[in-house]
Amino acid sequence: MNFSNFLFMQHEIGLVAVFLILFFADILGSNDKKWFYPLASILFAAFTVAGFFFNPQGEAFGGMFVASPLTSFMKNLLNIATFLVFLQTYRWLEQKEIKERRFEYFLISLITLLGMYLMISAGNFMMLYIGMETASLPLATLVAFNKHQRKSAEAGVKFIMISALASAVMLFGVSYLYGATGTFYFSDMAANISTSPMVLLGLVFFFGGLGFKLSLVPFHLWTADVYEGAPTSITAYLSVVSKGAAAFALLFALFKVFGNIEGVWQGIVWGLSVITITLGNLFALRQTDIKRFFAFSSISQAGYIVLGIIANNSMGITATVFYVLVYVFSNLASFAVISAVENKNGGDTSIAAFNGLSKSNPKLALLMMLSVFSLGGIPFFAGFFSKFFIFMAAASAGFYLLVFIALLNTVISLFYYLMIVKAMYINKADETSVTPIKSDNYSRISMVICFVGILVVGVISGIYTYINGLAML
Amino acid sequence: MTNSALFLVVLVTAVFMVVAAMALAMWLSPKSYNALKGEPYECGIETRGPSWGQFRVGYYLIAILFLIFDVEAVLLFPWATIYSSIGLDGLILASFFIFVLLLGLIYAWKKGALEWK
Repeated sequence: MNFSNFLFMQHEIGLVAVFLILFFADILGSNDKKWFYPLASILFAAFTVAGFFFNPQGEAFGGMFVASPLTSFMKNLLNIATFLVFLQTYRWLEQKEIKERRFEYFLISLITLLGMYLMISAGNFMMLYIGMETASLPLATLVAFNKHQRKSAEAGVKFIMISALASAVMLFGVSYLYGATGTFYFSDMAANISTSPMVLLGLVFFFGGLGFKLSLVPFHLWTADVYEGAPTSITAYLSVVSKGAAAFALLFALFKVFGNIEGVWQGIVWGLSVITITLGNLFALRQTDIKRFFAFSSISQAGYIVLGIIANNSMGITATVFYVLVYVFSNLASFAVISAVENKNGGDTSIAAFNGLSKSNPKLALLMMLSVFSLGGIPFFAGFFSKFFIFMAAASAGFYLLVFIALLNTVISLFYYLMIVKAMYINKADETSVTPIKSDNYSRISMVICFVGILVVGVISGIYTYINGLAML
Repeated sequence: MTNSALFLVVLVTAVFMVVAAMALAMWLSPKSYNALKGEPYECGIETRGPSWGQFRVGYYLIAILFLIFDVEAVLLFPWATIYSSIGLDGLILASFFIFVLLLGLIYAWKKGALEWK
């Protein structure tokens, strides 16, 4: 047994160490541990920072686990996103109903993150599947965390049922691919790949399974209800971290395994991205609940992410990773504001609760406005640059019609994003809106980081060129 | 016949047999419907109070814990059979596995899932 294989898994081992420390702190501490939340936040912050210094490179366990600078960057990105989500949970975890169980939230989140690491670094379809299962099952328990509220329990049941079905479908596709090529390893399969009907069938089913996690359109039906029912920070986690990890896993699977038969899957991705963006936009127009609204907005954002995947070159990889980075900051900023408003008015998450927010909480309204401007792609926030690079990547591979349709949809999306700004700045406050909110320090740190991220990530070109350097697969 | 055709035949036959059994039973049986037949049984008298029984969640917890540790035992059987040939490395690998499940047991113990209240 070659234990030096574990040297390539530095992120994973670090995460397991953090998990074990928190686990024993939970077991051995007394019942009312005021120090647990600061301990968890600081420990995870330290791990996030340390993650930037890990640089494993190579293959471990015979090719099952692949570590490269690109996967390290992706893992660091997911770390940052998870850390920002952790910071936003302070008020929610202090509530009476879940005060005893609040330690489980951290432990389960860390396990899902570990599963996502394995999903990203997979060199073998079995590793991808194990990672995906490890990431989705604990997430279902998190979605149902407010188990005494009916919406949360309903969302948890919907999520676990559909997630199990999607995993089964994906595994079915993987089994067809195995039958066609005789191997699970990405590199061996890429050498044996052909466009036989068995491979095509396997690809379609595999794509369906991953499309579920990414909420692409025919597989998006769980998104609205689960995002609405889950606790707000879990919604944030789902919309950013889970989607990002699924996007990266899809990226690696398509590029590494099916890179030579790109004509086949580019057609699928073309169609799916068009209907994803369009349907996400159309349904978001009618929503009155802010979490459902952000569910549909994140469906259309997933369509844009997939635009980066369709270009089978390194510019596509860079564009996708950069888009997820910007999406992390924008979406988590808006969810920070949503959770602040929701905690203040006792769980009401309708858009009407945001009426007149600019008068009562000007800074929160400003953050929300910047976040939706970034999501809508208004210059010069980070969202503009990320959309620009995504469109450039898709156009570089010749998909001009797709870019045109996506541009039209960007204009449509601006309408519903601006509806939120209208509610905050133009509508007068009525009895459903909130009084001035005093956020706790943790949320403030997360809001500041997201604010800086939205303003700065697009404009500092070094970030994009750094990712571009990593993207040489 | 090819294998796929055989499979199709088996599938169709199975579905047909089940459907035929249920359909025949439905059509050929004598029917007498009486509203009283649908009420819950309470020793021949009319029901008093709510008829729903309390479901004790402890059964569920014990069943889940049993399932997990039983699967662990099943996965340890092959390790046990080849233990002599994989020596110290095998022991370390299996102890990783057992350690993870031990953490689960410690957590369940500490959080009171093993109590039967």
